[in-house]
Amino acid sequence: MTLPNWAREPLVHFLVAGAAVFAFFVWKGEPADPASRDITITQEDRARLSLQWEQMMQRPPTDAELDSLTETWLREEVLYREALRLGLDRDDAVVRKRLANKMDYLATSIAETAQPSDRTLEAWLADNPHRFADDTTYSFDQLYFADKDTAIAALESLSGGQNGADMGDTISLPGTMDAGTAGAIERQFGIAFLEGLNGGKPSPDWTGPVPSGFGWHLIRLRARTAGRVPPLVDIRGRVESDWRNETLAQRRDDAYQLLRDAYQVDIQK
Amino acid sequence: MKKYLGIAAVIVLIAGAGWWLFGRDNPEATARQVANAEASVELTPYPQQVLWGDTHLHTDNSIDAFGFGTRLGPEAALRFARGEKVTATSGMEAQIARPLDFLVIADHSDGLGATRRLYDAPRIAIQDPTLLKWHDMMHESPEQSQRAIGELITAASNGTLPEALRDPENQEKATRTIWTKHLATLDKFYDPGTFTPIAGYEWTLMPGGNNLHRVVMYRDGYDKTSKTLPFPGLDGQVDGLFDYMDAYEEATGGRVLAIPHNSNLSNGLMFELTTPDGGPMTAEYARKRAQREPVVEATQIKGDSESHPFLSPNDEFANFGDVGWEIGNLSLTEAKEDSQLAGEYLREALKRGLSIEQQTGVNPYKFGMIGSTDSHTSLATADEDNFFGKHTGNEPNGERANAPQNLGTRVGRFGWHYLASGYAAVWAKGNTRAEIFDAMMRREVYATTGPRMVVRFFGGYDFSDNDFTADWVENAYTKGVPMGGELSDNGSAPQFIVSALKDPDGAHLDRVQIVKGWITADGALREKVFDVVWSDMDSRRPVGGKVPGVGDTVDRAAATYTNDIGAPELQTVWADPEYSEGQNAFYYVRVLEIPTPRWTLFDAVRFGFELSAEALADSVSQERAYTSPIWVGPPATDATQES
Repeated sequence: MTLPNWAREPLVHFLVAGAAVFAFFVWKGEPADPASRDITITQEDRARLSLQWEQMMQRPPTDAELDSLTETWLREEVLYREALRLGLDRDDAVVRKRLANKMDYLATSIAETAQPSDRTLEAWLADNPHRFADDTTYSFDQLYFADKDTAIAALESLSGGQNGADMGDTISLPGTMDAGTAGAIERQFGIAFLEGLNGGKPSPDWTGPVPSGFGWHLIRLRARTAGRVPPLVDIRGRVESDWRNETLAQRRDDAYQLLRDAYQVDIQK
Repeated sequence: MKKYLGIAAVIVLIAGAGWWLFGRDNPEATARQVANAEASVELTPYPQQVLWGDTHLHTDNSIDAFGFGTRLGPEAALRFARGEKVTATSGMEAQIARPLDFLVIADHSDGLGATRRLYDAPRIAIQDPTLLKWHDMMHESPEQSQRAIGELITAASNGTLPEALRDPENQEKATRTIWTKHLATLDKFYDPGTFTPIAGYEWTLMPGGNNLHRVVMYRDGYDKTSKTLPFPGLDGQVDGLFDYMDAYEEATGGRVLAIPHNSNLSNGLMFELTTPDGGPMTAEYARKRAQREPVVEATQIKGDSESHPFLSPNDEFANFGDVGWEIGNLSLTEAKEDSQLAGEYLREALKRGLSIEQQTGVNPYKFGMIGSTDSHTSLATADEDNFFGKHTGNEPNGERANAPQNLGTRVGRFGWHYLASGYAAVWAKGNTRAEIFDAMMRREVYATTGPRMVVRFFGGYDFSDNDFTADWVENAYTKGVPMGGELSDNGSAPQFIVSALKDPDGAHLDRVQIVKGWITADGALREKVFDVVWSDMDSRRPVGGKVPGVGDTVDRAAATYTNDIGAPELQTVWADPEYSEGQNAFYYVRVLEIPTPRWTLFDAVRFGFELSAEALADSVSQERAYTSPIWVGPPATDATQES
């Protein structure tokens, strides 16, 4: 089902929902005052109890069970009201946290299920390109040496024009990589080596030695290309999930800020 | 003011509900996209890159994980595994040093989501006094919540769980909702070639607290997996699970396998010499077992199950991750007899397999080995310096290493007994569900206790000229079989190529060993551990048949080590000097790192507290890898190929 764009605007939801709430309260009248000592248990209340039971136990309660449920509910309601009267809800860490969590949940429940439009996500992608850019890629040759001094000596003979083909110690690492991603290089060579690659500029000359978890490397960095940002259509899922995550946090913070602004807070130090 | 806030809240709620009704996910469309992306992944001609993953992670959908306090769900788990920073339940930021390539979220099928429902349920609707007590405990405090789950696990293993949590009919509706949503989430995070979430769950059979748990893992996406439901285990039998797996494959054309774990807590039941009902082993059951359980979890948070000193008295490295776990079963409701150990440890199980094969013609225990976490925090990390604990109550804090860990009882295990767990290493031709699953079926996998060393292992008869240059891997695939494979005994000694490259960001390697198990003509089971290549071989000459220790560079006060000892890479071609024609045998590789600090030592330094004497004595270890075996025997004995 597709909705026109205006129907997707939160403001419209807000207004419609507001009207609904208004209508509801007009119809229902003021809710019962928890401080009052009148309790009416309506048929609807009993139906709700019955439904809750059914959801838990996968069958409707018998009449006796429903009476017992009602009695339990009544007992809890009476004690709950008396507890409020005595102020037992204040300074109770569990009650406090639970209610605060409920408020957070209300604030974020929209963003959890909302379907963002392409426009929203395009904007998100444009604002946060670094989170979605492909890895930087590197093209390089490397020679491995267990020993640093050997590596330095090898570099000198390479600078003197000697061929590097038969230099270096044996190890199960590729001697050459073309357009390898930062991730793939880190996976095979480790973080220190990648930092070594980032330390120099592309050049036809051998440089180094740079350290790695294995030992020492002479490197010839032929090219380094910064990753591009793919078009939305290729990474929609990723963008959407990132947007959702951030929006959740944002909604929670915004909702809190809205409430917070209405308070005068004096922190005495 | 209060009243307006209330009205505002209701408005928000209604608006949210409206949006929910009109704008929901479309899992079928996502599944089609996934299938296309999967098809476009370019596969290599043979496995060229090892993939790292966890097949055993719990999120807040697990009945115990939620009760222990975890509030992170599958989405957070997937984000964490692929390398993003998330906030752990305890409020700390958490990030894995290197992303994982794949993840199986394996929440308990029994009572899937049940504790969360119990927690959220209106108190009044809970009639069962036990459930009501747990509900209240969960709301009271994190400590009480953990206690409630301890009681729940005990009740589960004693078969006294309240009916509402046991009855599959009652659970089915709730389970279906969670499962379907979960499968859609997995597809959403699936990025073929880069990151692979895999559908699965944990099947939690534990008669009398004896752990017979399996992780069930699917090859398929939403289109097939949404046609099934996680199979409940508490009241079952393992044959029932196998029947369920058969039915799934028949109905959907999909594939599914099971991974036994924590055999070390089964009090001898995981690898029995009999069928589960105590009758004599049959070829039929043996075949089923081998077909359905191609790999076993060798190492995880609750200990290591590769070997035990009681079973392998000549192996000085056999005791890794055994202490604390060997005293009894999972719930510690029953102490363990030494005689039960043989049914618990994998090396012995591999040997028992040969024995059963000699009697019935089929080897039920022809399995490969992987590691995984079994973390209950939604955080799949097996790194010693980034350990988030078995459950949320044990996320990093100054107390956890010394603290007693009472799973429902009051004696026995302490924080430091827990391992930082391990990873599953998979030699696949590409990072897709199908390739990972198929690699597990052919057992081309290995276990590590956390470090990401790259281990190759091939068996054959024509490796003598291998020189570890250029195309040696491709040649090895051509001339021999990789780990997990089988060699037909041709009358000459089998040769093995083994190559172990250290974790690029980790410790050097001490040694590579080949563990051989075999059966003699009169049915006696034997084993021997061969040191085949080690660092500084010139100066570390074997004494009395044993290679001397590599040394220890760990600074206990700072939780650091240096790579001044050991080697970055160890490689060799080895032929069995004790080969005897017609003797069925298996060979697997164990790679040992040099000693490094355990998580307990990192904790002690980070939080500035003193480890107990026992914990301190066990605060340095040699982390390791175990490969799947290569079996040598008469041709065509592989049950998985036959059926």
